[in-house]
Amino acid sequence: MINYIIALFLGVFFGFSLNKAGLTKYHKIVNVFRFTDMAVLQFMMTSLVVAMSGLYVLRGLGMIKFPNVPATYIAGNLVGGLIFGVGMALTGF
Amino acid sequence: MNWISKQFRNELWSPYAAGILLGIVGILAVWLSDSLLGASGAFERVAGMLGKAVAPTTFNNLYFNTIMPSKISWGVILLVGVILGGTLGAWTSKTLKFRLNDDAQWKAIFGPQVWKRWLIAFLGAIVLEYGAGIAGGCTSGLAISGGMLLAPAAFLFIAAMFASGILTALVVYRSRY
Repeated sequence: MINYIIALFLGVFFGFSLNKAGLTKYHKIVNVFRFTDMAVLQFMMTSLVVAMSGLYVLRGLGMIKFPNVPATYIAGNLVGGLIFGVGMALTGF
Repeated sequence: MNWISKQFRNELWSPYAAGILLGIVGILAVWLSDSLLGASGAFERVAGMLGKAVAPTTFNNLYFNTIMPSKISWGVILLVGVILGGTLGAWTSKTLKFRLNDDAQWKAIFGPQVWKRWLIAFLGAIVLEYGAGIAGGCTSGLAISGGMLLAPAAFLFIAAMFASGILTALVVYRSRY
């Protein structure tokens, strides 16, 4: 039960940060593919680096163990990514 | 204290600041709940639940039974939180409004009709979710959550996503690139 409350709480901050970064607007998402507004890349890479450093530090201190890493199956990831990119550039979501 | 409340009311943050916030959220997700952030999985579970209620035999296959079981999971609650959080963000900057089609750049390319925006949004979202199902996640679930664990899948996904996205933008925007 407490797990679900944490999920709700974290979700609120997730949605909040997405909204404040402006990534809910069509022009912000599409313009990264035109190289005019790199906000999507900046946002994604910043969160990736911050989370990566934090998690690896915590794992080094022995405080957590990583959950199941998403499976790497090259064909699926690439094909899925290609299809996903088409949808993302069209809709801006 | 005044500075913090002024920052909350700001409509657009620097992507670096918002990215730091999301990174902390990602760390907390693994630390407190041993789960990864993600959005497309939650949509697929809800779709599976609705589908099984309406057409049980069609949805009785491997994907919806084991890979993405159709129940209210951690991810579904997270998605509810995301919707609330986005609303909260818009509310604190006084930009909360029910919009039908208000993006100026979209209107410049496709025209101002509302049905066009909704149709392309619907079809494009079908494409999007289908691709996410094949890849095993979306930007938050695979690219960010996978990337923060340094999974190779995440980086393959990001590369493919940008390749096709740039091509699609080229096609859509043609001379106005």
